[in-house]
Amino acid sequence: MMTLLLQTSVLDINYVAIWPMIILSISGIAVLLFGIAKDPVHRDMSMIGIVGFVLAGVATGRLWLPVKTVGQIRAFSNMVIIDHFSLYFFFIFIIIGLLTLLISASFLEAERLPVGEFYSLVMFAVVGMMLMAAAGHLVMIFLGLEIASISTYALAGYRRNDLRSNESAIKYFVLGSAATAFLLYGMALIYGATGSAELEGIRTAIIDNVNAATKQPVHTELLFLGAAMMLVGFSFKVSAVPFHLWTPDVYEGAPSSVTAFMATASKAAAFAAFLRVFVFCFVPGYGQGLHSAWTTSLETIAILTMIAGNIAALTQHNFKRMLAYSSIAHAGYALVGLIADDWQAVAFYLLTYSITNIGAFGLITYLAGRGDRETEIDDLAGLGFNNLGVSIAMLILLLSLAGIPLTAGFMGKFIVFKAAWQKGFHVAVIVAVVTSAVSVYYYLRPMVIMFFRELKVEPKRLPLPTGVLVTVVLSILGTFYLGVMPGRLFQAMENAKVSFVQSR
Amino acid sequence: MVPLSWYLVLSAVLFTLGAVGLFVKRNIISIFMCIELMLNAVNLSLVAFSSFLKHLDGQLFVFMVMVVAAAEAGVGLALIISVFRNRESVDIDKLNLLKM
Amino acid sequence: MNGQEILSYVPILMMFLVSLAIATGMVVSSSLFGQKVKSREKLMPYECGKDPVGSARERFSVKFYMVALMFILFDIEAIFFVPWAVVFRKMAEVYSKAFVFLEMLVFIAVLLVGYIYVWKKGILDWK
Repeated sequence: MMTLLLQTSVLDINYVAIWPMIILSISGIAVLLFGIAKDPVHRDMSMIGIVGFVLAGVATGRLWLPVKTVGQIRAFSNMVIIDHFSLYFFFIFIIIGLLTLLISASFLEAERLPVGEFYSLVMFAVVGMMLMAAAGHLVMIFLGLEIASISTYALAGYRRNDLRSNESAIKYFVLGSAATAFLLYGMALIYGATGSAELEGIRTAIIDNVNAATKQPVHTELLFLGAAMMLVGFSFKVSAVPFHLWTPDVYEGAPSSVTAFMATASKAAAFAAFLRVFVFCFVPGYGQGLHSAWTTSLETIAILTMIAGNIAALTQHNFKRMLAYSSIAHAGYALVGLIADDWQAVAFYLLTYSITNIGAFGLITYLAGRGDRETEIDDLAGLGFNNLGVSIAMLILLLSLAGIPLTAGFMGKFIVFKAAWQKGFHVAVIVAVVTSAVSVYYYLRPMVIMFFRELKVEPKRLPLPTGVLVTVVLSILGTFYLGVMPGRLFQAMENAKVSFVQSR
Repeated sequence: MVPLSWYLVLSAVLFTLGAVGLFVKRNIISIFMCIELMLNAVNLSLVAFSSFLKHLDGQLFVFMVMVVAAAEAGVGLALIISVFRNRESVDIDKLNLLKM
Repeated sequence: MNGQEILSYVPILMMFLVSLAIATGMVVSSSLFGQKVKSREKLMPYECGKDPVGSARERFSVKFYMVALMFILFDIEAIFFVPWAVVFRKMAEVYSKAFVFLEMLVFIAVLLVGYIYVWKKGILDWK
């Protein structure tokens, strides 16, 4: 044992590569410590949080060019891989984290909940998600996933005295941990089958059909079993049918701003790790048909997800629950991109979806009012008459979620479907297009209620908080920018295509 | 020398027990223990693989899993306590405010 | 098992002896020099004040749980000292010893932040 350990390569400690995570961790800790001071000032803590996210964004941006020249930076003996794939996801997480802080400020103030812990949990969760996206080792995926998940469990139950919030957190915790256990078992089996826990090592072992440690052929049964277990675990995390049952309950019960975070950043992070493992390691043509096995099962899962998510969304009365089913359906669309082995399409799709959804949830946090209660769709009645701005913003965001042209949602779907069509997944694409058409109905229903139904009681709503306003404006701008001229961004991603699969 | 397959079978049995318990048990604490059982079953697999492959990454994995399980226990038990304080019950069937 | 291998277990034996000596020393010295209070609570089996006789199915104060949880968390973190100690020399060849030591100090500092948080939140406060 001892000698074995000494043979392993010396840690290449490289703090530059993980600067964004370090910055966020430090500012998270700072916010936490600020929160336990004598009289914590909310504004100061928001400021630290915002500055932390902005600095992390700057640090991520500064990594973009070096990565462009070298292809990828590896650090900590291949534990962390910084390539354009991870940097791209870093941007998504940072933007979503920042906007989550903005939309939760007024909610925390109104509910008199502790601010420091909330902000720091969001920041720690973002760090975990970044580690997931940058993982080069199964351990790193596991750790990142757990850092993100455990923070989100606590966030879901943040309203400690609210029964719905409690229930949501417990359900999320139990099912999330079970999913983690499945994922972990899959990791263990893959480790046993390939003799390596590094993603690069797993990939080479599968391509060469040689167990990295024993030099025997790769044990196919273990490999398949492990891949299946990981598929189950990841499907749970991205809430794909039939592992989606937790999603509506959890999303409905959690505080709206936390739901926004879960529906966007958590999902994107799970997809990032999903892409890393499945697209990067289980490559086509090797591993005794492993690639076709996982694409076929995921194709079925994607089709079921799109159908079940969209149909269930049709019958919902609660707005958050409807958006939960809508997020299940969107996971289905993203899976269509995943089976096409096209990470650019999936990543772009997740960006468009997250940008749109965070705005929609931002409006919900505002509309839900005191105690986060008024989340029924009928509560929106008459909003079009007494608050035109908010209802138009909601209209735009919902249309983008439905995938109407000129919005981000359309562009995202278009690119994903195109990629899948070219790879020959015709059935999945047809189902996707049909279900998208169906989805327009439930996205328009809140609109109809907003504009054409008489208002029952005049609700006492406060003026729109600045944080929510900023979020919604940014989200709408992003929606139009990505919907009308995504060319530059897509070009940048197209150039980054190589770095993902590049071997050292 | 005990062959690798025995460890793997034991680990699979433990994992299955945990997974079945997850669906059968009604007390949240029991469910929580089932999750811990699943995680530790995986730990057994990892250690067995690590020893069989003469490769240390598996041991490292177990360290991380143990720490994470402790952190999960912290958050999970805290959530259970807050549920108990609000409802005076830890029966999962009584958590039905949000319709399934 | 040859002699060389058995020799390699000597440090473990030494560790056992040292820990035994420390434990015995602590018990003996506290019984020799410690002050003795013979109040009712002190003489009870559980010094925390829990009545050992009676129904076991009663509710405990949540504070016991809090302390237990803090103990688990801080206790399990110590696990990371082991791999660090194992690779210390190897790493010190590449980086300086001070740097490797500093790395562990950073880890401890993060734990310390958690401790300060717990303290300031009044979890260790039993009044």
